[in-house]
Amino acid sequence: MSAGHVLFTIIFVCALGFFAANIQRLIGELQLGRTDDSRWNDLPTRFGNFLRIGIFQEKIFRDSIAGPMHAAIFWGFGILTLGTIEFLIGGVIPGFNFQPYFIAPVYAFFALNQDVWAALVIAAVGMALFRRLTKRVKRLQCAETHPNDPLLILSWIASLMITMFAYEAFEMVAHPDTMTPMLRPISFGVAMAFSWMSPSAASVAHDLAWWAHGLLVLGFLNYLPYSKHLHVVASLPNVFLSNTSGPGQKGVMKAMDLEGDLEVFGAKDVTDLSWKSLLDGFACTECGRCTSVCPAHTTGKLLSPRKIMINVRERLESYAHAADKSTVADRTLLDGYITEEELWSCTSCGACVQECPVSIDQLSVIMELRRNLVLGESRFPAEVMPAFESMEQRGSPWAFDPGDRGKWAEGMNIPTMAEMAERGERPEVLYWVGCMGSFDDRAKKTTVAFAQIMQASGVKFAILGQEEKCNGDPARRMGNEYLYQMLAKDNIETLDKYGVRTIVTACPHCFHQIGNEFPQLGGNYDVVHHSTFIESLLEQGRVPIVQELHGPVRTFTYHDSCYLGRYNDVYDAPREALRRALPVMNLVEMPRSKDKGLCCGAGGGRMFMEETVGKRINVERAEEALATGADAIAVACPFCMTMMADSVKSRNANVEVYDIAEVVAGQLRA
Amino acid sequence: MKIAVCIKRVPDMDVRFKIGATGTSVDEAGLKFDISDFDGYAVEAALQIKEKANAGEVVVISLGADNVQETLRKAMSMGADRAVQLKHDAPVFDSFAIATALAAEISTGGYDLVMFGRMSIDTANQATGTMVAELLGLPIITAISKLDFDGGKVKARRELEGSYELIECPLPAIVTIDEGIARPRYPSLKGIMAAKKKPLETKPAQIGEQSYTLDKMELPAERAAGRIVGEGKDAVPELVRLLKEEAKVL
Ligand SMILES: Cc1cc2nc3c(=O)[nH]c(=O)nc-3n(C[C@H](O)[C@H](O)[C@H](O)COP(=O)(O)OP(=O)(O)OC[C@H]3O[C@@H](n4cnc5c(N)ncnc54)[C@H](O)[C@@H]3O)c2cc1C
Ligand code: SF4
Ligand code: SF4
Repeated sequence: MSAGHVLFTIIFVCALGFFAANIQRLIGELQLGRTDDSRWNDLPTRFGNFLRIGIFQEKIFRDSIAGPMHAAIFWGFGILTLGTIEFLIGGVIPGFNFQPYFIAPVYAFFALNQDVWAALVIAAVGMALFRRLTKRVKRLQCAETHPNDPLLILSWIASLMITMFAYEAFEMVAHPDTMTPMLRPISFGVAMAFSWMSPSAASVAHDLAWWAHGLLVLGFLNYLPYSKHLHVVASLPNVFLSNTSGPGQKGVMKAMDLEGDLEVFGAKDVTDLSWKSLLDGFACTECGRCTSVCPAHTTGKLLSPRKIMINVRERLESYAHAADKSTVADRTLLDGYITEEELWSCTSCGACVQECPVSIDQLSVIMELRRNLVLGESRFPAEVMPAFESMEQRGSPWAFDPGDRGKWAEGMNIPTMAEMAERGERPEVLYWVGCMGSFDDRAKKTTVAFAQIMQASGVKFAILGQEEKCNGDPARRMGNEYLYQMLAKDNIETLDKYGVRTIVTACPHCFHQIGNEFPQLGGNYDVVHHSTFIESLLEQGRVPIVQELHGPVRTFTYHDSCYLGRYNDVYDAPREALRRALPVMNLVEMPRSKDKGLCCGAGGGRMFMEETVGKRINVERAEEALATGADAIAVACPFCMTMMADSVKSRNANVEVYDIAEVVAGQLRA
Repeated sequence: MKIAVCIKRVPDMDVRFKIGATGTSVDEAGLKFDISDFDGYAVEAALQIKEKANAGEVVVISLGADNVQETLRKAMSMGADRAVQLKHDAPVFDSFAIATALAAEISTGGYDLVMFGRMSIDTANQATGTMVAELLGLPIITAISKLDFDGGKVKARRELEGSYELIECPLPAIVTIDEGIARPRYPSLKGIMAAKKKPLETKPAQIGEQSYTLDKMELPAERAAGRIVGEGKDAVPELVRLLKEEAKVL
């Protein structure tokens, strides 16, 4: 063993030890968070996510330029790591390589891949540097990020590749007999360029390049934990442990145990967040994809989901590094880093979660902080108070008389569950109308239309009438878990009293809440959204409609509801229902549609708050819809209906907004 | 400063009422109850005084059946320190009888300030606070929208039409609270949890003699539905005709 190998072995062991210590430190920091036992179930789904989103970079490819670039670096890194392992062992054990351990074609394939991927990585890094330095991609330029770090990392990666080619090439020049042009064609090309060197000079150059590469590798390993490129280490585990693409339903908020003696409600500081949210902070690459699709951010509000994640990480570090915690006690995550204004700007649309390439859940951090504001400190926008009070007093966020809930159905011959139960009958489905559908004048038209469709199709259904209450979604999304659980439990009691199993509803918020979140409190029902229900009735030919094949061709565009689309992946049913009702209709898509759809601005309790900063989200969305040239906009949510109809009206556009139920009901045979 | 706030449990007014079977009470089925609006402002004002001074005690008092305990807990979840229920199961309509019981309780408490709502939002007699002041021989300022203290004196502002009055009087005193003094806080879950552990004392109400009884309750006659005559200036002649001939107001 030469002195060089001894020296390298010492450096290598130290570097590994240092890296291990850093990882242990980071794990210790994660343990400062709250326990979270929802991360190890359903391993097949988790492995699936790991492969799809992690290894095959599914979400990375949602950006058509950055996608292939990042994938080249990522896959290149994975493949080159094998070569690096060979390299490192070779540094410790003189003359070691993988060749004797594999049959020739396998080793040849391995070596060829090292060369080719290293070249691809250099190309991708060049492109990334070019983008950062000259193109000034908007989402990458922002005060909240660490702009120099990526430049350092990219240069580092390029140097790793260059030194690799250098030591391979100089080795070939020094020992022409070992040349393998077919296995390492690019290294060979480089070697040709240096063939004028004497073998002894090349040997020195090889040693220099080899050491440079070795030190760069070990240095890189130990720089990562201090950089935003910690995501290299954290993102794959994060994708595996994340629940944002399942297991379970997406977008489901965790239930709080209100009976337990909680010291802090929701989260005021990083130590109140789940350890998984802290890992999210480590995994964030600061890529800004979330912020670039955030409806609040893009219309000029203060909120940026990327900043939320950067703040989580910054605060965790400052807290963990402080020897005396009392010195950092007063700069908590809430208020010290993230302001109330940011938190109340969120529409809970889930676009950030959908877009994040490493499955970070920004929304759950926002919601935990909101819980602390409301439950712990009773701090919320003044406009929200009447909604809270009315939900508590009258079971609806609007101050309507609960006795009027079933008024829309007067004269329609629709039984209530109570009436049916009295006759000893049971409906096929319960129609859950929701507060908007019961009280809002515009939404009531949808309610009636859907009821007419069901009646015409011979569906035996009933409503709860005044026994129905708000499902609690607005309260929950505004952080008021206490009020939410009160309402949800009341509703579950009512539903169970009648033994309800199947529920249909025209409101995506009721749909998501009852179907996906009531199970937390013991309410288990099959909930179907009216778009899916109508579509299946149409498919079965149960709806007596007139399909006009002639006449003027109307152009529709469909606006996706966040709680129907991103939260529940219902994209096709409403579109199909429209096509079946209007066979000659022309359906055009907005640039942002389906899982990239832009929120209407009403979710997350924003319906009840004023929108004074920046452009109104519903105006932005209506403009996008109008720009398609459609003469009608279809929606499948009463909240979207209000938001879209308001802004279309205010622009004096001669365009109608319809719920899909209204479109279908309009074709019913008289 | 030791402050007492008298709070009344009243039904939410945004619903349609039904008269109960006896004909002398409201049918409570489906009604939701809460602190009367003006009493809520009073609780908030009292809490703000205590918080500003960082000292003192806020005691809430309510007369009624056991369901007022819920109302008292709500006030404590906002931040009141303790509560007293003056138990009386049958509803009392005579303000003087109520005032007598409240005055008896207040006289033993050693309060510096006693607060009432300007009126209850259900029966709206505007009488109780004033009667208690008279019974206890204390000074009273009614319907105030602002409150300050200066040494042993209370300074209050009353809104008049287009102007206002500033009045001061020595403590102990009684005030009745108008709108605008403070927006009641929404109880935090922390407050709700804490309220469960705060003391709530129940005593029999020593109500005075009731000098009047309630004979009958009746709902106002249904109003005829509104009518849209038309839009724009073309509708004016028809509107004028209707006002003249049907409404007979012109
Ligand atoms: C302090 C004060 C005291 C006043 N005292 C008096 C007084 O003693 N006597 C008096 O006559 N005026 C009094 N006024 C003036 C009065 O209140 C109004 O300013 C005046 O009636 C406005 O009439 P308008 O129709 O132009 O106003 P608008 O604001 O248009 O409407 C006023 C009323 O007209 C009716 N109205 C309006 N549009 C319609 C419609 N489409 N369909 C049916 N009804 C409609 C409604 O009842 C509405 O409340 C007082 C004003 C003030 C500020
Ligand atoms: S949920 Fe929507 S509004 Fe909220 S931070 Fe994410 S993208 Fe922005
Ligand atoms: S949270 Fe995800 S999408 Fe947002 S900046 Fe971080 S890595 Fe990118």
